[in-house]
Amino acid sequence: MHRVPPEMFRFTTREGADLYGAVLDAFGAASERLETALGLDGVREGLRAVGWLAAVEDEDLHESLKQLVRWELLDVVQNHAENYHTAEEYERRNLQYSLTRRGEAALAGVRHALEVLASTGALQTAVLEAIADRLDELCLLSDEPASADRRIFSTLRELEGHLEALVENTKAFNGELQRLLRAEGADLEVFREVKAATVAYLQEFLVNLDRRGQAVAAAAARVEERGIAVLRERALRGAELPPVAGEDPAPGWLESRRARWAGLRAWFLPDEGVRPRIEQLHDIARRAIVSLLQVLERINESRRRSSSAVQDFRELARWFAAAPGEDDLHRLWSAAFGLGSARHAHLSHPDPELTPSSLPWSQAPPVEVSALLRTSGRIERFTRTARVRDVAAVREERAARARQERAELARAWRDLATGGPVRLSSFGELDPAVFERLLDLLGRALSARPDVTGLRRATTGDGRVEIALSPPPDDRTAVLRTAKGVLAGPDYTVCITAVGGAGAFPAPRAARQEVAG
Amino acid sequence: MSTLANQLAAAEREEVARGIRLLLARPLLTEAGDPPGFDLVRRRREPLAKWFDYTCGWSLVVEPRRGYARLAKVRADADASRPARRPRSGRAPFDRRRYVLLCVTAAELLSVPMTTIGLLADRVVQATAADQTLPAFDPVHRSERMAFVDVLKLLESYGVLRAVDGATEAYVESAEAKVLYRVDTTLLMRLSAAPVGASRLAVPPDEVPLRFAELLAGLVRERRYGGSPEAAGDGTMEEVRSEPAASDAQRNLRLRHSVLRRLFDDPVLYRADLTEEELTYVTSLTGRQLLRRSVDQAGFVLEERAEGFLLVDPDALATDFRFPDDTSTARVAALLLLEPVCAMPAGMLPEQLAEAGADLLRRFPRWAKAYQSEDGAARLAEDAVRVLCDVGLVRRAGGRVVARPAAYRYRVAETTSTGADERHRQGKGTRPRETASTTAACGGREEGDKQ
Repeated sequence: MHRVPPEMFRFTTREGADLYGAVLDAFGAASERLETALGLDGVREGLRAVGWLAAVEDEDLHESLKQLVRWELLDVVQNHAENYHTAEEYERRNLQYSLTRRGEAALAGVRHALEVLASTGALQTAVLEAIADRLDELCLLSDEPASADRRIFSTLRELEGHLEALVENTKAFNGELQRLLRAEGADLEVFREVKAATVAYLQEFLVNLDRRGQAVAAAAARVEERGIAVLRERALRGAELPPVAGEDPAPGWLESRRARWAGLRAWFLPDEGVRPRIEQLHDIARRAIVSLLQVLERINESRRRSSSAVQDFRELARWFAAAPGEDDLHRLWSAAFGLGSARHAHLSHPDPELTPSSLPWSQAPPVEVSALLRTSGRIERFTRTARVRDVAAVREERAARARQERAELARAWRDLATGGPVRLSSFGELDPAVFERLLDLLGRALSARPDVTGLRRATTGDGRVEIALSPPPDDRTAVLRTAKGVLAGPDYTVCITAVGGAGAFPAPRAARQEVAG
Repeated sequence: MSTLANQLAAAEREEVARGIRLLLARPLLTEAGDPPGFDLVRRRREPLAKWFDYTCGWSLVVEPRRGYARLAKVRADADASRPARRPRSGRAPFDRRRYVLLCVTAAELLSVPMTTIGLLADRVVQATAADQTLPAFDPVHRSERMAFVDVLKLLESYGVLRAVDGATEAYVESAEAKVLYRVDTTLLMRLSAAPVGASRLAVPPDEVPLRFAELLAGLVRERRYGGSPEAAGDGTMEEVRSEPAASDAQRNLRLRHSVLRRLFDDPVLYRADLTEEELTYVTSLTGRQLLRRSVDQAGFVLEERAEGFLLVDPDALATDFRFPDDTSTARVAALLLLEPVCAMPAGMLPEQLAEAGADLLRRFPRWAKAYQSEDGAARLAEDAVRVLCDVGLVRRAGGRVVARPAAYRYRVAETTSTGADERHRQGKGTRPRETASTTAACGGREEGDKQ
């Protein structure tokens, strides 16, 4: 396989590597200005231009140039065009150095290495779009006459350039991503930001990735339909390769294009059964998002102690050592660790709801404390099981009571429903429970404001029964009797209805306000 | 719908309620410590986490595979009644020595996944030697080794340390004991529940005692309730007032959490101990509904009285000890002491307490064993008073011990019991009649007034 010549990168590791590197840089910079050969003074100037500011003895410079020549990175030729005054001057100054092919390669290699080191990868949707554009352009050009060969060539090269950018960037980005996923510790705050930004970036990229990938694949398929081989031939013609000695470069050039095209297919339009690499990119990005989010979550979780849990514990140790009193120790423990238990009573009343909450403790009934505990300091052990049964019994009792109350209520409403306006006195004698309901309703109605017709309307708390009450038409007194007492009052006209049922109440004949009283 | 669905819902409700109370009692619940309890919490972790987050603003982390559940309890008012305890029979509270050792040891354990007791002790020796403010740890003394073992045993009980080989106790006898530990570092980090790391509040060591209250408050400051962190400092009341930056939502959240945290963690929540704002919240319709609902969801019985609130857990799950109970002399004495304390609304003086203690010792000669010495009676009374303070039934005021309202809950029922019950029943029976006549009278009068 390819092998790098053994001495090629020696200059980067030897003693004085800085100077060697700077010298080669100077030559590189010169060749960009199309100066192919430099004398000693030229090299000095070049060194300054590439930022080498340290003084270099002629002796040393000369020596390093000779060394570079020995490594076959530089060529040396004699320059006879100048006038020299001394033999020494002639010996040193007539020498002209230029980069060899190997030197150029070495320089390019080093530059590329540095570039990769410094570069950050990126996933650019723009590149994907550019690839699709170039493919479309190729499609159009393939229909044009021979004059378009040059444009086919340049478009093809652009396409390859974009593809290369995509591959390189993706590679670099993925590398960085993996490093990011592995990295722990360091500055959590910075990390959190980088990771959060990365997630946003990836999400942005993933949007429409499928669509863009398919667009590229479709465009590539269209190009192939028109004949990629023909296109390559035309590009070769448009490339106008320079003549070189030896074998014809054309087959090699074509082979290289074929390889690039295969690369493109592998990314977007692989053979049956193989997943396009753009999809793998999708997977990688998605996986990265998930794991980055997990890492972020972990960071967030630990962020409140990001200053380092170790430091927190040490600081707490100092606080404990310096706490003023014994109680302060326990309070600090409680505040810092929160490991204490809750503390609650366990003795309750048989039916807690019997005691109104507005009663002070001193007036509410006490809980039942084991008498044995008070007399002998011990508790009967069977109390626990008994209590469980009690609760069930109480619950049952309460449910039964609730049922009974509901039934009573229903009966009361049945008894009270008037089916139309009647005088209050018509109720006559009432069951106490029913009477209570009636009083409740009357109370509600009387506390409502009369409407324009003097009618007072009210409903029960549950909204199921409505009362309409109008002032008595005369001065009669209604007397209602129950088993528990007698109520006497103005003889109102009332109409009690279950809401939703019929029971219109006729408007009172006159709104005489002063009747009651 | 179907009875099955109903039954499942009921089962879930009951389990969630149980899980809440289990976690309230043990904020770090380990599988090793309580396998069925942990299993329940693991299964119901979602509703449990939601309940704690909503009700108290406490985060619950359940690690099913690592075998622990951690409820990060944060409270604005640190109380001293629930110290770390030595995991041996006496369950004596930790002293300064042990608390310091605990923190230093924890710091050293964070960086090692495995260690032996000897290596760990060496690191603690070095760490205490390197820090001027810490008393040096010297495992040459037996008492020091004992303290170190207490610390390690506590960490073991939390599941932070696991003795792979050997037993920690052996170290008390000899510093040469061989014990190999595996350290659960993540759990160790979770031990700290304070929302703010102590190192972020670091102050010069000589200022710690003076600014202690400030440091405590700083540890538990939560940013989500709003208010600027700069307001730190001058006592809690000041802070509450100097939080104009808090939005209404934040204020409500803070009120809800501050009230319910105390309700669910403390034995009694007295209205008198609430700030005006908190009181308004508790008496508001929403506050009241929320309180009742959350108490119900947790399976407690709410006892509301004019002076405050008290939660009853009939299963006694959510508590570190039961009162009244016969498991210690001091606790029995505490119950009996309530009687004289309640009888003196102005409070009891130390001499009176000692006298009451002597009475008890005369009544229960067996107790004298533990309280034999000359000051036995006073010590007994003192221990009993501490129990009563811990359950919120008495408080100390200027040298006196004064009954708090809930103390009357445990008054002797023999004479009043039946009477009160009777009166109560009658009251229940007569009330409607009273109401009826009042309503009638009112109705008439009101009508008259309106004319």
